[in-house]
Amino acid sequence: MSLQINLDQPPFSFLAEKELAWLKSRLDLVFFPAGEVILEVGQESPGIYILYKGVVEETDDDDQVFTQYGTEDMFDVRAVLESSCKHRFTAIEETLCYLLKAKDFIQLLNSSDDFSVYFRTDLGTQQSLVEQRGGEVSEFILAQVDGDTMRTPVYVTGQTTLVRTARMMRDEKHDALLVRDGERRGIVTGSDLLHAVLNHSLPKETRVAEVACFDLITVEEGEYLFNALLKMTQHQIERVVVTRNKEIVGVLELMDMLSTFSTHSHIVAMRIEQARSIEDLVIAAGRLESLIANLSGQGVKVMAIMSLITTLNRRLIRKAFELLVPDKLNSQVCLLVLGSEGRGEQILKTDQDNAIIIRDDHVKDALMPSLQKLHQVLLDFGYPRCPGGVMFINDAWIHTAGEWRARVGKWLNNSSPEAMMNMAILMDAEPIAGNSELFEEIRGAWHHESLRSSIAASWFARPALQFETPLTLLGNIREDHGAIDIKKGGIFPLVHGVRALAFEHGLYETNTFDRIDRLAEQEVLSKEVAQGLKDSLVLFLRIRLRHQLEKAEKNPGLTQQLKVSDLRSVDRSLLRHGLHRVKKFKQWLVSHYHLENL
Amino acid sequence: MRLPLWLKRRLPGYRPPPERWAHMEEPYTGDDVVVVDCETSEFDKKKGQLLSLAAVVVSGRSIELSSALDLTVRSDAVTHPDAVRIHYLRKEDRKHGVATADAVQQFLDFVGNRPICGFYIEYDRAILNRYIRDLYGFELPNRFIEVSELYVRQKRRYIPEVNLDLTFEGLARDLDVPVIDRHTALGDVVSTALMFIKLQKGSS
Repeated sequence: MSLQINLDQPPFSFLAEKELAWLKSRLDLVFFPAGEVILEVGQESPGIYILYKGVVEETDDDDQVFTQYGTEDMFDVRAVLESSCKHRFTAIEETLCYLLKAKDFIQLLNSSDDFSVYFRTDLGTQQSLVEQRGGEVSEFILAQVDGDTMRTPVYVTGQTTLVRTARMMRDEKHDALLVRDGERRGIVTGSDLLHAVLNHSLPKETRVAEVACFDLITVEEGEYLFNALLKMTQHQIERVVVTRNKEIVGVLELMDMLSTFSTHSHIVAMRIEQARSIEDLVIAAGRLESLIANLSGQGVKVMAIMSLITTLNRRLIRKAFELLVPDKLNSQVCLLVLGSEGRGEQILKTDQDNAIIIRDDHVKDALMPSLQKLHQVLLDFGYPRCPGGVMFINDAWIHTAGEWRARVGKWLNNSSPEAMMNMAILMDAEPIAGNSELFEEIRGAWHHESLRSSIAASWFARPALQFETPLTLLGNIREDHGAIDIKKGGIFPLVHGVRALAFEHGLYETNTFDRIDRLAEQEVLSKEVAQGLKDSLVLFLRIRLRHQLEKAEKNPGLTQQLKVSDLRSVDRSLLRHGLHRVKKFKQWLVSHYHLENL
Repeated sequence: MRLPLWLKRRLPGYRPPPERWAHMEEPYTGDDVVVVDCETSEFDKKKGQLLSLAAVVVSGRSIELSSALDLTVRSDAVTHPDAVRIHYLRKEDRKHGVATADAVQQFLDFVGNRPICGFYIEYDRAILNRYIRDLYGFELPNRFIEVSELYVRQKRRYIPEVNLDLTFEGLARDLDVPVIDRHTALGDVVSTALMFIKLQKGSS
């Protein structure tokens, strides 16, 4: 008889074919009428139940619903590994479960490493196991910087003349040589030589040390090629130096990478860099979405996609800014991106969230025509208008530095929900074009010990609690038709809670992951909690991205509804863990900020 | 009607099972039943050849699939075209099966003295008894439970004149039991076992 559930998914897909076949032969089928208790608190579990039909509810001692299980979900691994059950499991509909006896389950754990690792580890490891199996991983993109990908460095001394250096480049067929000048190490490229001789008319006998660049951009051996590509894109260079424990061991050339690189992320990056007109940029922007779908389809980790897209998005906006805002105004303004874009957590485009700071002695009238154009270009790039109006074309989000400082002061004294929300939006700001010193000035306004009274901090934290954590994922969901809002239910409380702590502790980081790391360093959050929050956020972002890509609507980035029944059961179970972490974090915030009475 | 063993043994023509299966005559005291289903070459008690045979122990609410008996019989019986359309067991599919005698032996060892349950079990009983009689000279002494009878009894208790759909599918639908791999012996056995469990629950 064929098995009525799909075991071709994690954790069962970690099993070898033989083990999986054995598992299938060891399953019994058990029926429970509605209302029957399947496992009682303190009871020894006969094994692992895998749901075929029906819904099972897990409750704790106080009858608080912990979570629900549906088709292909399983329970209760902990009861089997720890020999007794911590919660009560009740069939809330007529339920049919396959039962894998405890001793058979243990035997599988003992015979398969991946399988046992999955059950004995934390959410993050489980997730990376799932992600690894998530699809065909493009070999290149997760390849590491090693002997195969880099070139052995060729050195010249700093005393070498430009002529000799040029000859060596030709002989060695290298476009870049490393320069050894005393203790210093630098790099010189063919175009450096051209520049020196043709543009600066330096004599051919000049020492190479005078034109070489000693500010080396490096990657550590063993890093992902992907990260090397990111660095090249960020710095607009074509090679990076590879180090091993700070010793230079090689040079990684963009051209070498490109010849093996099969996706087109570099093409998009190049297009942005080489754009001469706004039209060029709009074309490049149009490619980003399919790039994301591609990378995601190839199994590239959501964190890597996020940092690549953040880099590309910022380059794109900066380039548009540079094309539209006259050079002489450049140092008079600073363009900020806010919200998820500011935190560097945007993958698919959401809406425009941005602001402008103008130098104090400057009036905005001269700027407005170019800024209006910039706004239109952002729309053309595919960033929809912000429904809340958080855009620099609105008076509320374009001010001089002095005005901004005054506004922040007012927000902090007033503590109304709107003021706190504005503060939260501005806190995630990242200056991406123009004069970033203007931003440094106003940032001081909220990194100010006296301003951070505990009252303001707790008012600030409060919105993290405004949405219920949707922990009953199955059955009984009527009003929202089996869908949960992943932003309200998971991402927002987590991101905002972390932001509140960052506000309280005066952190400069904007990225949620960086903020969590800093909070853990400062021992505001324990290591475990910090790791748990990061794992959960990655999970939410990954599941949301997959969901958004599958839906493929116009502006998929705006979709926050996850249809629970569309999720693989393994994702459902990971999601359940993640949402639990968020719930616990919210409880912690309540006691930390004394929000009990709100 | 169930006769006591002492009386049964005195009936004319009674033939006791051989030593190997003598225990099958012992009265059964446990709570398990064995759900059984046979697929045959044609739907005829006298001529139908055994093609496949499945049996599973039902213990309380658990269907012990992991120890189920699921046998295909190596037989060169010509399958009636209509029957093939039902169970999809062509002659070619049966080449790798076990010998008929082997299947019957395994079945007898498996079932022991437990009650045997099925859907239209009268047919399976007749087929099995025909083989057991020919091979070992006795008939199944087990108690038999007819699922459709349990169903009718339960329904009529509340509404005596009710019009019932007594097909396999009809029962499955009314009892909300998934029909799994219909017309494979093991699939039918599992569905039947679920019907049995649900009817048990309803009557208690």
